[in-house]
Amino acid sequence: MDALLAFLTVFTHPELLLLVGLGTFAGVYVGAIPGLSVTMAVSILISFTFSWDVLPAISLMIGIYMGGVYGGSRTAILLNIPGAPSAIATAMDGYPMAQRGEAGQAIGVTTVMSFFGGLIGIAVLALAAPAVSDFALSFQPRDYMLLAILGILLVGSLSTGSLVKGIFSGSLGLAIGAVGLDPLTFTERFTFGVPLLQGGISFIAVMIGMFGVSEALIQLQHVNSAAVRQKIDRIVPSWDTVKKHLPLSMQTSFIGVIIGALPGTGGDIAALMAYDHAKRVTKKPSRPFGKGAIEGLVAPETANNAAVGGAFIPMMTLGIPGDAVTAIMIGALFIHGLNPGPMLMVTQPDMFWVIVGALVTANAFMLLFGLTGIRLFTKIVELPRAVLIPLIMLLSIVGAYAVNNSVTDVYWMLGFGVFGYFMRHYGYPLGPVILGVILSRLLDDNWRRAIISDREDLGAFFHGILTSPLSLVLTVAVVLIFLSQTPLWRAAIGRLGQRRHRHAAG
Amino acid sequence: MKASILALAVAAAAATGAWADDAYPSKEIQGIIQWGAGGSTDTVMRAVTPHAAKALDGNIVMQNKTGGVGAIAMRYVQSQKADGYTLLMGAENPQMYKVLGLGTDDYSDMIPISVLARGVPIFVANNDAPYDNMAEFVEYAKANPGEVRVGSTGPGGLTSIVLAMLTSQADVEFTRVPFDGDGPALTALQGGALDVMPAVLGAAIEGVKAGRMKVIGLVDVEENPLLPGVEPITAALPGMSDYLPWGPFFGVFVKKGTPDPVVAELQAAYAEGAQNEDFRKLMADRGFTIMAIAGDEAMEFLDGYRSVSSWLVYDAGFAKKSPEEFGIARP
Repeated sequence: MDALLAFLTVFTHPELLLLVGLGTFAGVYVGAIPGLSVTMAVSILISFTFSWDVLPAISLMIGIYMGGVYGGSRTAILLNIPGAPSAIATAMDGYPMAQRGEAGQAIGVTTVMSFFGGLIGIAVLALAAPAVSDFALSFQPRDYMLLAILGILLVGSLSTGSLVKGIFSGSLGLAIGAVGLDPLTFTERFTFGVPLLQGGISFIAVMIGMFGVSEALIQLQHVNSAAVRQKIDRIVPSWDTVKKHLPLSMQTSFIGVIIGALPGTGGDIAALMAYDHAKRVTKKPSRPFGKGAIEGLVAPETANNAAVGGAFIPMMTLGIPGDAVTAIMIGALFIHGLNPGPMLMVTQPDMFWVIVGALVTANAFMLLFGLTGIRLFTKIVELPRAVLIPLIMLLSIVGAYAVNNSVTDVYWMLGFGVFGYFMRHYGYPLGPVILGVILSRLLDDNWRRAIISDREDLGAFFHGILTSPLSLVLTVAVVLIFLSQTPLWRAAIGRLGQRRHRHAAG
Repeated sequence: MKASILALAVAAAAATGAWADDAYPSKEIQGIIQWGAGGSTDTVMRAVTPHAAKALDGNIVMQNKTGGVGAIAMRYVQSQKADGYTLLMGAENPQMYKVLGLGTDDYSDMIPISVLARGVPIFVANNDAPYDNMAEFVEYAKANPGEVRVGSTGPGGLTSIVLAMLTSQADVEFTRVPFDGDGPALTALQGGALDVMPAVLGAAIEGVKAGRMKVIGLVDVEENPLLPGVEPITAALPGMSDYLPWGPFFGVFVKKGTPDPVVAELQAAYAEGAQNEDFRKLMADRGFTIMAIAGDEAMEFLDGYRSVSSWLVYDAGFAKKSPEEFGIARP
């Protein structure tokens, strides 16, 4: 009963409801601007809400978080610039849809699916938090390493065209991610004695440059061609569309929750893995992937919003952040006199239910704000190129600067923009570069942790993999996914199919 | 509108130098936090600074500038004007920059505004570990060299120094698994990827209270009110008292050359801010000892920390340069 009352707190207090709504609204727009991240917004809010009570402060933060994760899809669909790393996969099929004049439909599907994913994430948080957090804790360094390898195999799905070029892009990303002071031993890597490189290359700067600036440069070539007229009559997807994608969205939501709950991986990896999953399980996509498949929107958007609920799981049950935003929220709870940790659920169970309630509310607001104002948004794509291109450049520069308030990042961003332009020109996919940067540290750090833990004994390392059920499952997944991308697999499947055929005939 | 005209006038006056230092602060003060949002340094700074800003009757805007074990933030503050409008909000790390070759400056090249608080390191262990106190732990580690997996947060970090203290007293060998921060390492400890982790009390206390890990040692000379019944490490290893009390700290600093009246005003503001009840309670809950010292007292504490840590690190063999090169005396 107390739990229900606590759950309803946000609904019964108009000022909390207003703050969640305000936060979600702001989050959608903060999330849509590349470089302005939710992490940044929430950390600014910590000082801003310092003198408030804990509930209003948390309500506002949760709103921004939920709205922001969703907002990243807007610019991804409309301009091919992901507003946040978790929207990279969204751009791959969202932007082709906008180019066909279906931006409204794409945003509609994205919004409804984000809402659905968000709901699944919250449901798992509310119903199974302790079990999921124990599962997340059982991930050893070698399991994180295997997860990263699994992630790297996504290069295959993220590359359209030549796989060799995709592998090149992925490796480039891994190398970019390794630049700077190694966070484990503080050894300089790829810095060539230049102090500027010690801090590494901002991954957001790479992303904005590769997607934003290179897009602007590409569009320069067609500066006089007319913009695509956007159809906005069908924004809310029909019930049939939703129903058709229900099984897929359930699967990708669960991918999102688990990846989100793991301390050390977040919505960006979840969205990419979900995209890959969709590509594997969808036999007949509405259109080929990469050319505007609805499934290519459904998967990443359900996953990254489900990851929000997931990230709260270790935070609420153990006081361990599931991602960067929940790390800041833990700090905020401290400042407001609570002690987030395993005891929080015991001493203040109400807090848990208030947060679940706020998440549900934020998710509902997200649906509301997402489905309104689309008309205005789609107008952006209909702008004449002469206006649109400078706008993209401006957004990119502001975004790159805002991450660290550093002009150096702006130069990096511009440099990678020009580089990305040539990569596109010669058919090198950009997605794998970002994938590589995201996974670089996860792979590198955890491989070293794993092998150091086993006292640099490869035998013990493989023994560990074979004896731990979790590691074994992950290894089998890695092997199967790897094999499925080789011609060997196709030949085997082909032969199997033939044999079955013959049996049926005979 | 009126306010912006006023601000413009103030800016113009400041630009022409018509206003003397007594107008400090005449504009927004920037606080550069050395570590990421949500971490201990961040929490402490965001908790105390609003109170200090109130005492100062000014506005302090904080932002996190991370990277290079905090060296990036320090380099940034040192590259700004020495006018008291850029504060460095840092932890203990810069005191090791010189010997570890991470930077050319440390806190002796800055003016301390306030050393706010000090943390107490403790040893925590996985619940399944077959030892419950320091004596048993040392005995076990001796009998099984290299078998105990200890989390490490990099050379110069708290774990490396505490382990250097321990190995100077007992001939033990560990497998050191690197993690970026005590948070992820403590997570790994609960999941069984680590056996033992030296961490600051505040970071581990909630997990200890919930029974998810156990305390096996308190690296201090006296008992701690948050850990009743845990005897200080000096009981098992009396030689440790040479280094103790020692602990990570948090402080606010400005560039050398900042005018004295400005320094005095900032020092008074942070001294007042640190008296705030909410702040004191927050620090007590997290197991930090409030210091709130400035001036010579702060310099003395900072020098002591630097000398103990630098020589420990040097003697343990992972310093890049000898502390002697920088005139750091042996403790």
